[in-house]
Amino acid sequence: MLIGIDVGGTTTDAVLIDNGKVIKTSKVPTDHDHLLECLMSALDEIVRGASPKMIERVVLSTTLITNLIAEGKTDPVALIIEPGPGMNPEGYSLEGEVQIVRGAIDYRGREIQDLDEGQVKNAAAKISERGYRKVAVASKFGQRNHSHEERMREIVLQVSPETVVEMGHQASGRLNFPRRAATTMLKVAAQDRYREFADQIAKAITGRKIEAPIYILKADGGTLPLETSVEYPVETIFSGPAASTMGVLALTPPGQTSVVVDIGGTTTDLALILDGVPLMSSEGAKVNSYLTHIRAFAVKSVALGGDSRVRAADGEVTLGPERAGPARCLGGPEPTPTDAMRLLNLISIGERSLAEEAMTNLGRDLGCSAGEAAQKVVDEAVDMLLSEINGMFLAWEEEPAYRVWEILQKEKIRPQNVVGVGGGSLGLVPLVAEKLGARGIIPENATVANAIGAAVARPTLTLTFRADTERGFYTVAEDGTTGEVKDRKFGQKEAEALAKKLIIERAEKMGIGEYASEAEVTASEVFNMVRGWSTSGRILDVGMQIPAGLIPEWTGGGR
Amino acid sequence: MTTLREENRDRARKMGLIFFPAFDWAITPTHPEREERLLYTRDQIFEEGLMDLPEVEEFKPRLAELKDIARVHFCIPSVESLVTEAHLIAAGSTLVLADAYMKKEITNAFALVRPPGHHSMRVAHGNRGFCNVNNEAIMVEYIRRKYGIRRVAIIDTDVHHGDGTQEIFYHDPDVLFISFHQDGRTLYPGSGFVDEQGGPKAIGRTINIPLPPETPDEGIHYVLEELVLPILKEFRPQLVVNSAGQDNHYTDPLANMRFSAQGYAKLNEMLAPDIAVLEGGYAIESALPYVNCGIILAMAGLDYSNVREPDYVPGRFSMSRTMEANITGTVEYLQGIWDAREELTATAVERAGPFFRRRKNIFYDTDGIREKQTESVKMCPDKSCPGYMTIDTDAVRGYGSSDSGFGVFVPLFACKRCREEAREEYEAHKTDSRYNYIYFQDKNTDNFRLYSTRMHNERVY
Repeated sequence: MLIGIDVGGTTTDAVLIDNGKVIKTSKVPTDHDHLLECLMSALDEIVRGASPKMIERVVLSTTLITNLIAEGKTDPVALIIEPGPGMNPEGYSLEGEVQIVRGAIDYRGREIQDLDEGQVKNAAAKISERGYRKVAVASKFGQRNHSHEERMREIVLQVSPETVVEMGHQASGRLNFPRRAATTMLKVAAQDRYREFADQIAKAITGRKIEAPIYILKADGGTLPLETSVEYPVETIFSGPAASTMGVLALTPPGQTSVVVDIGGTTTDLALILDGVPLMSSEGAKVNSYLTHIRAFAVKSVALGGDSRVRAADGEVTLGPERAGPARCLGGPEPTPTDAMRLLNLISIGERSLAEEAMTNLGRDLGCSAGEAAQKVVDEAVDMLLSEINGMFLAWEEEPAYRVWEILQKEKIRPQNVVGVGGGSLGLVPLVAEKLGARGIIPENATVANAIGAAVARPTLTLTFRADTERGFYTVAEDGTTGEVKDRKFGQKEAEALAKKLIIERAEKMGIGEYASEAEVTASEVFNMVRGWSTSGRILDVGMQIPAGLIPEWTGGGR
Repeated sequence: MTTLREENRDRARKMGLIFFPAFDWAITPTHPEREERLLYTRDQIFEEGLMDLPEVEEFKPRLAELKDIARVHFCIPSVESLVTEAHLIAAGSTLVLADAYMKKEITNAFALVRPPGHHSMRVAHGNRGFCNVNNEAIMVEYIRRKYGIRRVAIIDTDVHHGDGTQEIFYHDPDVLFISFHQDGRTLYPGSGFVDEQGGPKAIGRTINIPLPPETPDEGIHYVLEELVLPILKEFRPQLVVNSAGQDNHYTDPLANMRFSAQGYAKLNEMLAPDIAVLEGGYAIESALPYVNCGIILAMAGLDYSNVREPDYVPGRFSMSRTMEANITGTVEYLQGIWDAREELTATAVERAGPFFRRRKNIFYDTDGIREKQTESVKMCPDKSCPGYMTIDTDAVRGYGSSDSGFGVFVPLFACKRCREEAREEYEAHKTDSRYNYIYFQDKNTDNFRLYSTRMHNERVY
């Protein structure tokens, strides 16, 4: 049996799955001060009566890190950066304690200016004096040559041995230095709090005699064993929308193109599944004001939900962005989109007479009947969603491209399905689908699709490999692994084979070795380096990944 | 509605950028114009996080239409045979940015794209100086057609003379073409001397500033300050284009100048082009990553003072007295030409008679083509009409086949009579068996026709 639990902003949802079927679900309100308790009470409800020995897998998706960062409850971190030549580092908008030191590495990992160790020492002393015990060090192109970051770390530890220091190249090796610095900072800021939480969860679950492996869901829809996840705390941010999207992937036919519409009380999350693959954001996620390297689904959050405030002005209605409270038909104070849907019999929750009263009041302000007012509210909600959905497809089509073939092959794609999950979807999804010429689907168990998605998601992994045969080394962007490339004839075939070997090693290190064989090559390029009219070496780039997908226990073996 | 306060106005600026390195296209695997050319530039500008800046908006390229090419070039034997998809994307990128700029979605734009184009002339038989079709000319004619603007200035800042762009606009009094470059006696393509000043009806609208080898930042900034900017101020262009080569750099392997990344950034700040389009630049490691970073920051209105090459120290290169005298002499001479352009035009038109004729020999270095041209421009008595033009072309490929053509070109703002005469010339030549291809280009009606005298068929673009 599989268990999925999603600790969301409003409710905590859990499901128990046996033999590819959902056999039990639960929903409890989320109490942000007591996340662990919510999680355990949702869990207890579904495992009641089941033997703990039967449980094979527990996957959690939690807002913990999202909340800690949003509320500024993470640990204070000081940053030491070595920006080298380029933009004025004052323009990076990295807030807080930032120390800038001299030294530089270039795009091929060559040292072009020595690290100013005296400056690092002074910076470390200053930071320590100001009471910081967590430090992030990051060098531009540090992922292609770790020596300066390692030296900075050593110096900080010499100055104040009790400090925790994280290095940029270990947080991410992707190009984009400001994002890497921010990601490193968030990683070290969230680490301790996340570790405490992970320990508590592990204890609570084993306390219930459940011996199944525990996984945590990441923003890219992949799972990670709880014990390895403590190394990557910020990857668990925004796992809620990822859970819903994975749920839709699980509940719709494979290989199709769908819009995921998760309508809650105050906001609606939109995501896209293109030919059966959830669309990733091409850049990393934005966390508060920080742009990061955290891989996440391309999710668009719209300030519109079942409980949104409805205003009338000049015969037109506007919705949101704030919440008005529960719907009038459920005993709330004001008319809401839920009331409009109730009156039009698009949904059947709550008291219809109260909905009618709410819409009559609204109609008075608009100068029309209750029914017309309800129709205006619903039309406005559908229009808002349509324009956001079209905007998402357009943004996908307009993604910059750097190769001739990418420009030639990208075609216009339109959705086959509009899939509603979450409480408020029932009334609006069929209308949105109709306007898009797509099929509207509200799957069975739609209100716990997020927990189902968590339960059946498989691990994801990426590997970005670059070899520079002229300089004789390779690097792996994700974790800063480097090694020698001695063979001057090292070509594309050898590069792909080495990348494959490295992703298997990386998968094993992360405790997901059984999925390593699923890894596929997503990009492979060779650049001949010509110096003085003869070939002096090659740069070989190979991208590999285990994309977001479902475990075989759910799909029945296939994907 | 909130309005921007004075001090915040500058924040509303947004630079449009298309970065199209064509990582899957090369002339040949070891040619300077190969996949690797913008690889390190990619690494540098992505590592800087420039695409994340609120002042920078990245756009996706598109393919230019064949018609956009035909609006500028007489391609022999056809547009399709001369361009690859990469050329259409490089040209198309400039059109995407042109539209965004003209619709005021962006304040200015940089097409950081390859392959380049400024050596491509009006008649195109193949690749010259790494160029097949002229990206800037295609963009300028697209903008003039679509948005109805008239006066355009193209400043060619590549180390090589922008001979293709010069040739395309040589007789157009509404397009000011200024090129500074390493003296043509010492570098490809061997042209761009001070006496190339424009056709009889457009004297002073082509300005060539040959600079001595090893000219540093200081020299180029002097030329800009003393000559280019004052002329621009007087010409009052509705669009300023920087044909932005990066091979004036002190490390460029194909040229001998001493320009730095700081120098390039400052140049773009001073010139403030509306749209810049990448041309040459082949110091792919030592120059391009830094130069491009500097240009992007300068055009986005950001601080570029921290951009520098690893081996650069301010004051590394200075001008000798002789070099200084050489440059000031050139500037003074050209100022004189510019000031006297009206009288010079009148004299030149009178001397030319009813038709201005010149013969040209053109060599296509990349494709090994030798072309002979006779150009003929009607000296239309209507002062505001630039007059139509015909070109008789004959090209020999290597030691083998030869292709000949006759092109009739009607510029924008041509008078009715010239347009009619030009059309008659085209129709009359359709039966002229001396030529394989007859071409007709009327920019006023956006009508472009290619007639094959062998196949007896007409293609309308």
